Amino acid sequence: MEIDIMRLAKLAKLSIPEDKVEEFRSKMESIIQMVENLPDDLDTTGSLVDPDDTMELRKDEVQPSFPRNEMLRNAPYTAAGCILIPKVVD
Amino acid sequence: MDKLYSLTAGQMKDLLDKREVTAVEITKSVIENIERTDKEIQAYITYNFDQALQQAAGADEKRAKGEQLGELAGIPVALKDNMCTKNLRTTAGSKILGNFVPPYNATVVEKLLADGAVIIGKTTCDEFAMGSSGENSAFQVARNPWDTTRVPGGSSSGSAATVAASQVPLALGSDTGGSIRQPACLTGIVGMKPTYGAVSRYGLIAYGSSLDQIGPMARTVDDTAMLFKAICGRDKMDATSKDYTYTPYGDSVKGMKLGLPKEYFGEGISAEVKEKIYAAVETLKEQGAEIVEVSLPSTDYALSAYYIIACAEASSNLGRFDGVKYGFTGSDRSSLENLYVSSRSEGFGEEVQRRILLGTYVLSSGFYDAYYKKAKMLQKVIRKEFEDALKLCDAIITPLNPTTAFKIGEKSDDPVAMWAGDICTVTLNIAGLPGINVPCGFDSNNMPVGFQVLGRKFSESTLLTIAKCYENTVGGFAVKEF
Repeated sequence: MEIDIMRLAKLAKLSIPEDKVEEFRSKMESIIQMVENLPDDLDTTGSLVDPDDTMELRKDEVQPSFPRNEMLRNAPYTAAGCILIPKVVD
Repeated sequence: MDKLYSLTAGQMKDLLDKREVTAVEITKSVIENIERTDKEIQAYITYNFDQALQQAAGADEKRAKGEQLGELAGIPVALKDNMCTKNLRTTAGSKILGNFVPPYNATVVEKLLADGAVIIGKTTCDEFAMGSSGENSAFQVARNPWDTTRVPGGSSSGSAATVAASQVPLALGSDTGGSIRQPACLTGIVGMKPTYGAVSRYGLIAYGSSLDQIGPMARTVDDTAMLFKAICGRDKMDATSKDYTYTPYGDSVKGMKLGLPKEYFGEGISAEVKEKIYAAVETLKEQGAEIVEVSLPSTDYALSAYYIIACAEASSNLGRFDGVKYGFTGSDRSSLENLYVSSRSEGFGEEVQRRILLGTYVLSSGFYDAYYKKAKMLQKVIRKEFEDALKLCDAIITPLNPTTAFKIGEKSDDPVAMWAGDICTVTLNIAGLPGINVPCGFDSNNMPVGFQVLGRKFSESTLLTIAKCYENTVGGFAVKEF
């Protein structure tokens, strides 16, 4: 099976250096070959959710949130209490 | 008293309770020993020594005042570096979080601190917990204390290494496909992956959210249970966590039925490993357990199901790393798109990129039904098989890893060989069940072998009972003098 590694990388927002493309492709192909080992006679009807494993949500209550400066402390570029990104509109 | 660092948590607690030592004395001993040995073991990405000494002093002060103390008061614990610690760098073993300082604690960390535990540092791990050898860390490769040319297993590599080398008595790891149990096995310690939902995942940096679980690692069964008791239970910050009441365990397997699934004793498992496991089963039989044969027919397909589900979830979970809000930011800021791509490509290591790509592939249009949907359906089948098998017995015993610890670099260029080694551990995560590694001797290279005990949901006390019975019968587990 031929994998379109460049398309996958684009979807995943990754760029693979040119000299690594072949290596990535061949390793991905052997990995996919490995995970293709799935039974043919599997019943694929029914829900993907496990009905026995329910989740319990907490109440939707107003609570103090983190101070803005603490949240921004890890942001690479900030100014005036905002996160800076490259310009998106001309 | 010399070598305080090498005591078990239980022994430390006894001495603290009798006021024969202080938590500060223990912590100082642990720090000095880590400073002496960690150049070789490389178990830590970040030390927390100053804070640790303060935490120890706090525990001593409370004790002196006669205040109520948690069981872990004054006892050193190491944390895998994928659990958020407030104001203490948390990297997940990745360059992309190389400078990340969380503004909050994971729930397990809050629980440990409330109990009075002393947080010694953050341990080396495979990047985003993706690996089976510890070699995928962006920082360093932790070493196996039994032979420092070999891997300690992964992805909780540093947590296993630091406990096995007697740097600390207790460590937390996380287990998505075996990442607590396998390094515990390869370093000859006890490591338990609790039932999915038994321990809160809030503040654990996500890999495969439906499979991830935090659990204890220690050199004895009692210590393992002590740490588990401190961290289990419902947390409103994790919707998948369950009301869980810790139940005490025993030490007798008399009258218990233990299942042996033939699918786990096939050709892929080394002869030496099999021999040790059969001997351990014999020991448990002599202690009064009845051995029954059970069958888990879909075991062969479990690796596929695991890697499809885990990587699909990882590709989604790791979408948040974009170089904008926190973490490493890429060199190309010429456009927002280029910022995303350069941050991720420069920040993630190759194995993480591979798993993101696989996840993207199995979820992409035209392939979803063939891979992801099928894997999720297979997960139901695997769960049902375990349920049926566990109706015939109280717990199941299997090998934990097909081989003992391999040499650093031996498999690092062959992802398929590396992934295939996870065959004995991933099934549990797929089924959401608990499992524990129990050390059971050494191979001809003097490397540790371990067997896995797995059981029904929330049957941790049964697993601990079986492990404890074995530990008592063999007179305790070997400890590496380091």
